[in-house]
Amino acid sequence: MAGNFWQSSHSQQWILDRQDLIRERQYDLQILTEEEYQKVFIFFANVIQVLGEQLKLRQQVIATATVYFKRFYARNSLKNIDPLLLAPTCILLASKVEEFGVISNSRLISICQSVIKSKFSYAYTTDFPYRTNHILECEFYLLENLDCCLIVYQPYRPLLQLVQDMGHDDQLLTLSWRIVNDSLRTDVCLLYPPYQIAIACLQIACVILQKDSQKSWFAELNVDLDKVQEIVRAIVNLFELWKDWKEKDEIQMLLAKIPKPKPAPQR
Amino acid sequence: MDYDFKMKTQKERTKVEDLFNYEGCKVGRGTYGHVYKAKWKETSDGKEYALKQIDGTGLSMSACREIALLRELKHQNVITLIRVFLSHTDRKVFLLIDYAEHDLWHIIKFHRAAKAAKKQVVVPRGMVKSLLYQIFDGIHYLHSNWVLHRDLKPANILVMGDGPERGRVKIADMGFARLFNAPLKPLADLDPVVVTFWYRAPELLLGARHYTKAIDIWAIGCIFAELLTSEPIFHCRQEDIKTSNPYHHDQLDRIFNVMGFPQDKDWEDIKKMPEHHTLTKDFKRSSYSTCSLAKYMDRHKIKPDSKAFHLLQKLLLMDPNKRITSEQAMQDAYFQEEPLPTQDVFAGCPIPYPKREFLTDDDQEDKSDTKRQQQQAAAQQQQQQQQQQAQQQQQQSQLQAQAQAQQQQQQQQAQQQQQQQQQHSHEPNSKRVRLSGPGGGPQPNQQVHPGQQQQQDFHQQQVAAAAAAQQQQQQQQQVQAQQMMFNQQQQNFQQRF
Repeated sequence: MAGNFWQSSHSQQWILDRQDLIRERQYDLQILTEEEYQKVFIFFANVIQVLGEQLKLRQQVIATATVYFKRFYARNSLKNIDPLLLAPTCILLASKVEEFGVISNSRLISICQSVIKSKFSYAYTTDFPYRTNHILECEFYLLENLDCCLIVYQPYRPLLQLVQDMGHDDQLLTLSWRIVNDSLRTDVCLLYPPYQIAIACLQIACVILQKDSQKSWFAELNVDLDKVQEIVRAIVNLFELWKDWKEKDEIQMLLAKIPKPKPAPQR
Repeated sequence: MDYDFKMKTQKERTKVEDLFNYEGCKVGRGTYGHVYKAKWKETSDGKEYALKQIDGTGLSMSACREIALLRELKHQNVITLIRVFLSHTDRKVFLLIDYAEHDLWHIIKFHRAAKAAKKQVVVPRGMVKSLLYQIFDGIHYLHSNWVLHRDLKPANILVMGDGPERGRVKIADMGFARLFNAPLKPLADLDPVVVTFWYRAPELLLGARHYTKAIDIWAIGCIFAELLTSEPIFHCRQEDIKTSNPYHHDQLDRIFNVMGFPQDKDWEDIKKMPEHHTLTKDFKRSSYSTCSLAKYMDRHKIKPDSKAFHLLQKLLLMDPNKRITSEQAMQDAYFQEEPLPTQDVFAGCPIPYPKREFLTDDDQEDKSDTKRQQQQAAAQQQQQQQQQQAQQQQQQSQLQAQAQAQQQQQQQQAQQQQQQQQQHSHEPNSKRVRLSGPGGGPQPNQQVHPGQQQQQDFHQQQVAAAAAAQQQQQQQQQVQAQQMMFNQQQQNFQQRF
């Protein structure tokens, strides 16, 4: 549905309340600090990104997969499904919904295996442990937990329109597009409508590129500027966190710390 | 995956077979799966649903698309997805949707059978118009949400039976539907050939790689023609549906035989079509020099100066860029002309079509030509019984009558007068009886033409005048009866408001 965002399930069911989000995460936040929790999600957003790139998916599909991932854990503890299993499952589901053409199950598994080995060996010392049947089982659980809301609106399209409106500028578009990608490492996609995220990312890009002349353009936008500022803050916080974070040194400890699923009792 | 999480969700999950009775109630079989007529087990409200069990296991891409799109779409003329059931043990997917008792494939089949048996089917004069208007309404909604249907055909246009949504069109089978705003892949790459041949636009047959709204409009044009004549306008021998080559000689030949071969000025971009060279090699314009849509429709008693024909012509333009949009179509003069479209396409009249029959597992509903003929014979028999009374009615098959010339009516006048006398002597006007009955009226109408409200006063005056002049010509009586009918329905409509 590329039509009306305001009538979409995204708008009506999946713009969450911050307090609600904190409440849902209570269990996990007894084990992880808020910062550690965010770092775990940054890591898995990277996993989804790399998997998507290896499968030659478009950014739109990768972004949708990432939003599925975040929506699932907005309602569930990390304990319920191993994020390493959910990440490729989200990719599989998003590629079907976004009409990218079918990814064969065997190709997905082999890409997972090779990516874990080649790109994330600093995080995982063992092989990718899941097979097709795990992913297909997981897909049903994912669909259920998403309440079948599969169409996700992304900030990319509104961003293109905004940049066009501003007077097209390639450098600005490239940078703000990247910032939208980065925003998937925060909770903003769960909390704000995509056009607000687009505006916030554009604003950050203008500041970075020192395009002061665009201030009046922003002032004329008919948008809740407080919300835009909240988004800007969330993304700037991410950049701060990134600056001092030595992911490769910390991630094994973090992954060891997250609550793990309990297998079925032995009979 | 966590064991407790699994157990917990398993407990919360309701199984479709626990909630609904549907065993032995299969009513449809398609490329997508099986459709059952389902009723709640617990509540006895008797409300019927359609339960679509998707073929195969797991989430196919088309199942995914159907769920994703139906989850977002909300329009009275588009089928509503009520719930999705996932059966984890056998990995089956069920979609719970509106149950529609009728569809245009069955309705047209019924009329064809009646025509072949020289029987008449009594339906409101404006039924085809109402059907078409609602199809456009639904498609306009889809198109304005950047959703293409791409598989429009009579079998996918459902019509609700008796109940709160009586006579309302529901566009269904969105499995092929695609978003076409910035598609990630050329749409043609996904399923090379998707629209049933007869309803497939010429640009698709010539290898167009991008699907457009105009492709849906062409299909609606085909459906419109088929509603008017009870014959598929571009009927062609069916072959294997999934051919990888979009070029289809016989189907193009059929289109040219009806439409004539397009002049250069009619479709300038035809030269850019991928299969244009094959076209010029295979076809000669001169072979079709005597063919035209006007002639074809005239043979089927649709006059080239009628509003219906004018609209049809705008839908069936060979050049996709020239075809009108659903929005323009809804503004067409055809819909402003009486009889105006009604929300209940049956306009409160009894529904002459049989309800869906239950299928057994081996009794697959094959929609191929040969099967169609067999079914037609069977349908004729069935129909004979149902139509024994109806055939006596002087009002002729109004599906056709609305476009039939008055001339013809006059010729049949004498005969009809006889019939009318018979009818009056031993049969009350069944239409009027039904109209005053409960639940027969149309629904509150949000979509009916804005002009209708004003038209109403006009009608009432006319009826009063007509009532004063009781002994007029038969033809006028006929008009009067129709207006009475329309008016009662209007009053009914007003009461409900």
